[in-house]
Amino acid sequence: MVTEVSLSVDLAIILLAATVAGFLAKQSGQPTVIAYILAGVVVGPVVFGFVEATDLTETIAELGLAFLLFLLGIKMRIDEVSHILAPIVKVSLPQMAAVAGVGIGVSLLLGFDLSESIIIGLAVMYSSTAVVIKMLTDLGQTTTLHGKIDVGILLAQDIVVVIILAVLAAGRPDDIAEVATTLVVVLILVALVSALALGASRYALPAIFRRIADNQQVFFLIAIAWAFLFVFISDEINLFLAPVGIEAYLSIEMGAFLAGVAIAQLPYSKELQDRVNPLTDLFVMIFFATVALRLDASDLLYYWQEAIIAAIVLMIAKFVIFYTLLNWQRFDGETTFLGSIYMVQVSEFGVVVGVAAVAGDFIAVEILGFLTLLALITMGISVYFFAYSDQLYDRFEPHISRLEADKTFTEDRRTLNDHAVVIGYDDLTRNLLSLLDDHFEQLVVVDRRTDHVELLSDEGYDVVFGDIGSSSIRKDVELKKAAFVLSSSDSPEISRILLRETKEDAVVVLEARSDATASMFYELGADFVIQSVPLASKRLSKYLEDHLTTPDRFLESIGRDTGILLESDPFPHIHDLIEGKLDD
Amino acid sequence: MTELLTAIAIIFIVAAPFLLLANRFNVTVAPLLIIAGIIAGLFIDAGTALELAQFGIALLVFMFGVSINFDTIHSILADSEFAAIGQIVVVGILGVILGVILGVSYLEATILGVAAALSSTMVGTALLQTEIRMNLIRGRLGESIQFVQDLFAVGFILILGAEVLELDPIVLQIGYGAVFIIAAVFVHRYVFGFISRLAAGSDELMIIGVITLLAVFIGAAAFVEVPIVVGAFAAGLAVHYDPGAFPGLYNGLGSIKDFFVALFFATVGALVVVPFVQLEFGESLEKLALVLVLVFLAIIVKPLVTTLLLVHRGFEARTATLTGLSTDQISEFSIIIAIEAFLLGLLADSVFDAIILAAAITMITSTLTQRYNEELYRFIASIGLLSGSHEKIDQNSKVPDELTNHVIIVGFGRLGSSLIATCEALDHPYVVIENDPALSEDLEDTCQAYVFGDAMEDYTWEKANGNAAELIVSVTSSEVLSRALLARGFEPDLILRASDKQLAIEYLDNGATYVTVPDLLAAEQLITYLSALLEGELTARELRELGNVELESD
Repeated sequence: MVTEVSLSVDLAIILLAATVAGFLAKQSGQPTVIAYILAGVVVGPVVFGFVEATDLTETIAELGLAFLLFLLGIKMRIDEVSHILAPIVKVSLPQMAAVAGVGIGVSLLLGFDLSESIIIGLAVMYSSTAVVIKMLTDLGQTTTLHGKIDVGILLAQDIVVVIILAVLAAGRPDDIAEVATTLVVVLILVALVSALALGASRYALPAIFRRIADNQQVFFLIAIAWAFLFVFISDEINLFLAPVGIEAYLSIEMGAFLAGVAIAQLPYSKELQDRVNPLTDLFVMIFFATVALRLDASDLLYYWQEAIIAAIVLMIAKFVIFYTLLNWQRFDGETTFLGSIYMVQVSEFGVVVGVAAVAGDFIAVEILGFLTLLALITMGISVYFFAYSDQLYDRFEPHISRLEADKTFTEDRRTLNDHAVVIGYDDLTRNLLSLLDDHFEQLVVVDRRTDHVELLSDEGYDVVFGDIGSSSIRKDVELKKAAFVLSSSDSPEISRILLRETKEDAVVVLEARSDATASMFYELGADFVIQSVPLASKRLSKYLEDHLTTPDRFLESIGRDTGILLESDPFPHIHDLIEGKLDD
Repeated sequence: MTELLTAIAIIFIVAAPFLLLANRFNVTVAPLLIIAGIIAGLFIDAGTALELAQFGIALLVFMFGVSINFDTIHSILADSEFAAIGQIVVVGILGVILGVILGVSYLEATILGVAAALSSTMVGTALLQTEIRMNLIRGRLGESIQFVQDLFAVGFILILGAEVLELDPIVLQIGYGAVFIIAAVFVHRYVFGFISRLAAGSDELMIIGVITLLAVFIGAAAFVEVPIVVGAFAAGLAVHYDPGAFPGLYNGLGSIKDFFVALFFATVGALVVVPFVQLEFGESLEKLALVLVLVFLAIIVKPLVTTLLLVHRGFEARTATLTGLSTDQISEFSIIIAIEAFLLGLLADSVFDAIILAAAITMITSTLTQRYNEELYRFIASIGLLSGSHEKIDQNSKVPDELTNHVIIVGFGRLGSSLIATCEALDHPYVVIENDPALSEDLEDTCQAYVFGDAMEDYTWEKANGNAAELIVSVTSSEVLSRALLARGFEPDLILRASDKQLAIEYLDNGATYVTVPDLLAAEQLITYLSALLEGELTARELRELGNVELESD
């Protein structure tokens, strides 16, 4: 195995360092993102120099970013975000202009020359997609109003990054018209790729995914292939444009995001989130750990004083600019505050812009070091704003409410409370649905088969496609708030999770395959454990006895049972039919 | 975008239509991924992707290590270690001989033989899921044969790491292997619990912690020049845990594994030099000859040997044949062995390619033979290949002469036992039909009369005097068996069990006297209790008590 020793060892060191740092961070209550970045600083060329960036680490880092955006896309249902598109555009454009202005100003004051200052200004105006989305995901806030606003702004920034990179790649622009052309081409491309994604989402994907959703492995791999298709199209867009004589560039992040959005519109996206999540966590960890791998200490720290000053000024400026703009768009105080404080860092894209600028000979490598350090410092500090957002908000709440607009932007959300959750649609649960529907205001059914999901939603039931073993599905059906849970899952692991996660006074009804499992469930707090085999065994013994002793009674009994069985309505109200007629 | 990422993107994009095919025809994805890789290989340099694909190997072996349950390992092994080892020896030796005849070196022939002898857990257990869940003997046997083989594969790869067939380096390798196992035991005892405590319930850290542990074991293996497979296996042993204890970890590792394993199979495919397309005619023929040998060994010789060994061990013909048929493919471990040997420079292109191609082919054909296994068995039985097993049934059964008006109970589980009790209470003659050797002692101890044989077989019914019975009750939920019983058109009343309503209706239409659907009975009971609860006639506490009383009364 000599051939790949060195390659794997680099990665193993990065993994080990980042993991140890992550565990330490968790123990000391620090955000893991900062731990991963610092781990990279320590094992990389800046401190010990054990490892450096390789093709493999770069690839995994790119995968990390692509997966992060793909995962984010899967969570974006268009009907849930369309109403905030207008405010996002109105906020993001002035925000970038203002931050770039502050960036240029502070750079000039720190002694950089004009062209350097312009590059720095263009590099610092984005907030970090990786940090913001990772932290929003960790905190479970991606679908909150401030979460969606921030994501929207980050994507708008992403489009601008793509344009700037395209311009930088072309070398110094001759005139403003060239910049304008690039802008138009990129916007058209984004529109085309979006149209492709959404068109597929409406016309092609539903048929494909309905067929494969029952096969977890194929479903997952096809979804990933779909993401890679868009990543590939975005990255190799020139292949398609060359015949028409245009040159352009799209970011793979944008492609991954749009691929995700296309899937998000399907009913099967929930489960996919849980499948994509672990891979994303792993890759994103490596992404953060490799941020600091590309530079030597001397380049990174050349302008360290300037970087600290710029970091402080920019974070304050970003907060004030975001706050003013979001407040202007009439978002409520909390949304405005959180939406702003989460966005104060300088993005990894700033570093990417810096790399392109070095390659195009606009700036020296020390300035790239300055931008990298700026990103590291502001990312590191900003993760604490996420971690302590509640405390910060409580602290500033009195001032914030004074500034709040009179009539704020609001949105409706479905809320479940004291509802019934039924897991699995089969002979056991099917017959109980109407009974539960009569008694609970809200009833949600979770099932893993597409035909069941279609049947149930045609019948007007609230149904979620997915596996209750996945935590995002449990969150989606608000398991913790349910008053009643009925599960026909025969997996003891799932049942134990249900018992652990339901509230104390919820009625939990489970199914068990053996006496031992049943009594374990009772001990863990189940209210009733169904065991169908003993019931069948009693019933069959009884019928056997009748058959051998009183055949008439046997015939009568099986006649009744068969009558119930032949009831053709898939949602029979058999509780009316048989209530009180049980013989035991 | 790096070149590597472009290669990965292309691999997945090319794989997509093949994955859809796999889903459409209900085939395991592995062979189709290999084919997709062969096509993608025409566009990309697979070497770059190999590095990431190694994680696929590592995760595959790692998950095997994780899944080993030391509590049940003994009973699993007891079933079939004889058949498993015998099969490896016979097929392996045949493979070596045929390989040498075809002109490959001894070492390559050995690898060829081992590759042919191993059957795929991935294909086999996926196909046997229903049988395993229903705890049929066939499922258990298949599972345990594959388990022994996988274990053997890991050991073989360890020895392969020595690179030569000499004693000293091999002993050294085994020594390293032992050190890794000891390290695994140590980590499992002292480190894993520590990690899970430190993760403090965070799935993200738990997953990353375990992956890092895997990376460290692989790194250590690479460092001492032991195949990474050994490191990955030891890492799996080090963290083997009860999946219920860490559901998030289990799901997370599953999806990381799916991603890298898919990449692995496709990359392996991309490494294949395609006969006739990328290769001239003569060489292509040579390669095809090797492929044919492997396919012949895997789909004809191996099932045959397994079946004969199992029959020899006392399993009846149908179980033995069906189990044998479930081994008729080449294992993913063979692919791993091939690639490890290839990377070590022990294997020529042609042998490597032959193993990969044969694996892909047999994994697909195996899906087909599984689908038609009953028909295949009927065919084999009809041409008289398997006879003389009546003696065994006679020997192992206890049936009084002149049995009439009796009750025949098919299946000796929980349900069967309660029916036996009823018959005994009424002092009515009965006979039980069962074919699980694990239950044979119980059967002897508790039953007045039983036939130890397969209910699918004519002779079993002859023995149980089927048509003179008063009533036949089958308590198994096997659809195949239920349909076969209906097809016999028995005179006595026939009671069956069905897992759902649709099936029950089908059985009734086809002549069953009565069909019990346990789930429906449970629904009926639950409706009574729950309407009482929801109407306020019953409190949750009273419901619990009812449930507990019921549990104790069973």
